[in-house]
Amino acid sequence: MEELIGDIFEKPEPLKGIRVLEVCSVVLGPAAADYLAEFGAEVIKFEARRGDQMRYVTPYAYFYKNLSPGLLEQNHNKYWVGMHFGHPKAREIFYKFVKKSDVVIDNLTPGRLAKWGLSYDKLREINPRIIQLHVSGFGSWGPFTGRTSYDAIAQSEGGLAYITGLEGRIPLKSGVWIADWTTALACAIAIVAALYYREKTGEGQFIDISQVETVIRYLDWTWLYVYLTGKNRERFGNRDLAICPSDLFDCKDGWVAICAFSENEFKGLCEAMGRMDLYEKFADPLVRLKDENARYILAEIAKWARDKTVSQIEELALKYGFSAYHVVDVEEAYNSEHFRQRKAIQEYEDPLYGYLVEPCYPPRMETPARLKWGARPMGFDNEHVLARVLGMSMEEIEKLYEEGVIYKWNPAVPSQCPPKDWDGKKGLKYP
Amino acid sequence: MEERKIVGFAIDPEYAKFIHSITNPADILGKPEALDDLVVLDLSYGNFAGIVASSFLAELGAEVIKIEPPNGDLARKMTPEGIMIGDAGLAYIVEARNKYHITLNIEKEEGREILKKLVKKADVLIETFRPGYMDSLGIGYRQLKEINPSLIYCAITSFGQFGKDAEKFGKMTGYDLIDQVRGVVMSVTGEPELDPDVPKELKKPVKAGNWMGWYVGGMWAVFGILLAAFYRKRTGKGQFIDVSPCEGLIAIANYLMQYYHMTKMEGEPKKMVRAGNFDYAVFPYTYVKSKDGYVFMSGFTDPNWAALCEIMNRPDLQKQYPTIRERLNPYNQPVIQKEIEKFTTQYTSEELLKMVLDYSKKPDRKGTVVTGRLNSPKEVLEVEHLKVKEMFVERKDPNYGKVLVQNSLFRFMSRTPGRIKWICRPIGADNEFIYQKYLGLGKEKLESLKKEGII
Repeated sequence: MEELIGDIFEKPEPLKGIRVLEVCSVVLGPAAADYLAEFGAEVIKFEARRGDQMRYVTPYAYFYKNLSPGLLEQNHNKYWVGMHFGHPKAREIFYKFVKKSDVVIDNLTPGRLAKWGLSYDKLREINPRIIQLHVSGFGSWGPFTGRTSYDAIAQSEGGLAYITGLEGRIPLKSGVWIADWTTALACAIAIVAALYYREKTGEGQFIDISQVETVIRYLDWTWLYVYLTGKNRERFGNRDLAICPSDLFDCKDGWVAICAFSENEFKGLCEAMGRMDLYEKFADPLVRLKDENARYILAEIAKWARDKTVSQIEELALKYGFSAYHVVDVEEAYNSEHFRQRKAIQEYEDPLYGYLVEPCYPPRMETPARLKWGARPMGFDNEHVLARVLGMSMEEIEKLYEEGVIYKWNPAVPSQCPPKDWDGKKGLKYP
Repeated sequence: MEERKIVGFAIDPEYAKFIHSITNPADILGKPEALDDLVVLDLSYGNFAGIVASSFLAELGAEVIKIEPPNGDLARKMTPEGIMIGDAGLAYIVEARNKYHITLNIEKEEGREILKKLVKKADVLIETFRPGYMDSLGIGYRQLKEINPSLIYCAITSFGQFGKDAEKFGKMTGYDLIDQVRGVVMSVTGEPELDPDVPKELKKPVKAGNWMGWYVGGMWAVFGILLAAFYRKRTGKGQFIDVSPCEGLIAIANYLMQYYHMTKMEGEPKKMVRAGNFDYAVFPYTYVKSKDGYVFMSGFTDPNWAALCEIMNRPDLQKQYPTIRERLNPYNQPVIQKEIEKFTTQYTSEELLKMVLDYSKKPDRKGTVVTGRLNSPKEVLEVEHLKVKEMFVERKDPNYGKVLVQNSLFRFMSRTPGRIKWICRPIGADNEFIYQKYLGLGKEKLESLKKEGII
């Protein structure tokens, strides 16, 4: 595995040279661009005057050096431009960017960019190689297009919340904005597939992705089961209906997941429990899946696990050949040597915010993801981007400020601003 | 198609019609496929992360050859209530789309020789065995890259190929639940810790109802494989990819780690507790009871909260909790929730949706309220929008009968849409075709391999 270890900055970036224009707010769109940015794409993020909504969405209204952790989580390695798209001059500037870019991503209301003259038919005229992706709750056409969506809407309208939760209790949404993050991943996959195709043919394309569909796509056997049996899929807590045993059990000092599906693993578990009678009766995995058998087996395991510690059960699993592991929380992951060794969690020194520790996107590979810098104050890279990409002079840039086409942070809104102790220079790339 | 079904609530109907014209499902089969030059060998066993990864690639046009041991992949038996149709369970049938199914016993020397011949013709290999297993058979990445230096080799395991946990626990078989418990997300999913009405024994982590660990892990694998394929197109170089699905969950666990780290830098690290359907960064943004099931209800910014209070005719609530500081207080949230439910339980979800939509048309509205029904799976299957978009594919499969599966997410790529060509294949059903096509093995040779237990 020597190829995977070592200094991540010595390894190549797979998306080097790919320029992405991000016209997004909140989590879903910015996360899609973030996945590309950590793998080496140059992402230019355009922000509306009111600011990305995540500047104001943060746990318990907490801010760190004026930075919202909710903004940081899906914004890395990006270049930040504050630009008012409603201004006719902004449109001309954006066309110039499109000419020199590979990908455009937006998650505004479907049709909003088109109203600004930035729809795909126009962009492909300017650059036939452009790949434009739009992502929204329900897609750019269809009976529900135009409806506002959030992560929690996709989780509920797609059926995920209904099947998540304890038996006989309320439906639950995930503790994280899972529909946003996973839909963003579908976007990133589609974009790289389109880049791959473009490499062969030179052709760009338009991609439409919808949040509720992503949730539906990953609900495994749910739809076929409902279709064939006419029954709903209900909530069963941590029990896996298609694998037995696979459940979370109460121990003396916490919870432990125990899984043992193959005949051999189940035999190992029964040996560890001193319950070969269970093995003799339920060796066949399909027999174990019958509801009555599954309930019996899981209840027997629960009785056995109750007076043991989590680590006792993990050790028994290693000894007898089944799978068992405890529930990892953020503190354990943060302090885990394993995830640091794997660069799944990375520490870096940000010029504005100092030392930061964050997860870095998988998978681990020979062209790996990396964290270079975090989120930025509004309009932080205006001069750098306009000068470097479009070759604008400082005079032209000044004029754009005066005309209200571009702007920086509003000093009255702290979460748009640099940290209070900022020296006016740190982190600036130009001038 | 009726115009209404295309334009819906679009702010720009012309835009909706234009996008429909370039992503019309009726045109999909006449369009090219993005990955039609990739051959993928999927050796995953008893693990849906691998199966999902090859499914996505198959939807995008890759030629996926699923290689099973002669008795079939154990994943075929991972099925609710043990329901099988012939040799495949429901979960397997859903994720067998567009794949060729062959058998091969890689524990025998001749089987390994055949695999090596296939690897010469392949671009991508996916496997989910415990780390070191393939290597010990002489067919790990180290050996296979000698045969095919541009090979993209993707290994998916719960603990990864290296690292402290892999050393200790790497020999354990991977499961969705193991990936979920290691993925941090589960630690914050569950009934609310701070709601006194929830019994103590129910305050525990709850997994996502679906195979979230496997599906998210599989999607990250696809992302990695495509990045590697793109990189290879430009450089000719293959590579090794190490997917540990739990890392795919940790990486999308909102701001949990950022918040922990920042508060630690300030002295005392802080963690989020399980919030149930509350959200400590946005509230109200929650599921509430209605007369007929649950609905999502939000109004979390100050103007939107004012709008929600106006719809409920509860100016007192707005006064009591005027800013996000009050509403993000975890002790206030269960109280506010119950106040909202006093209102919502008087109406059906349909009535609530209508009220919110009517309010959104008022010129003097104070803000935007968003609502949506919490659908049961049965209800999802009846949603008109999803039918119009062909979210589900109903087919009569020659081997598995009438089935319905979820469609490809990528079918609205204007140039290279994803698609489903066939649903599932029995164990070894494509042996003749694939072995003839790639290795020139005729029927007689296959018969003798069968007798030796190789295929």
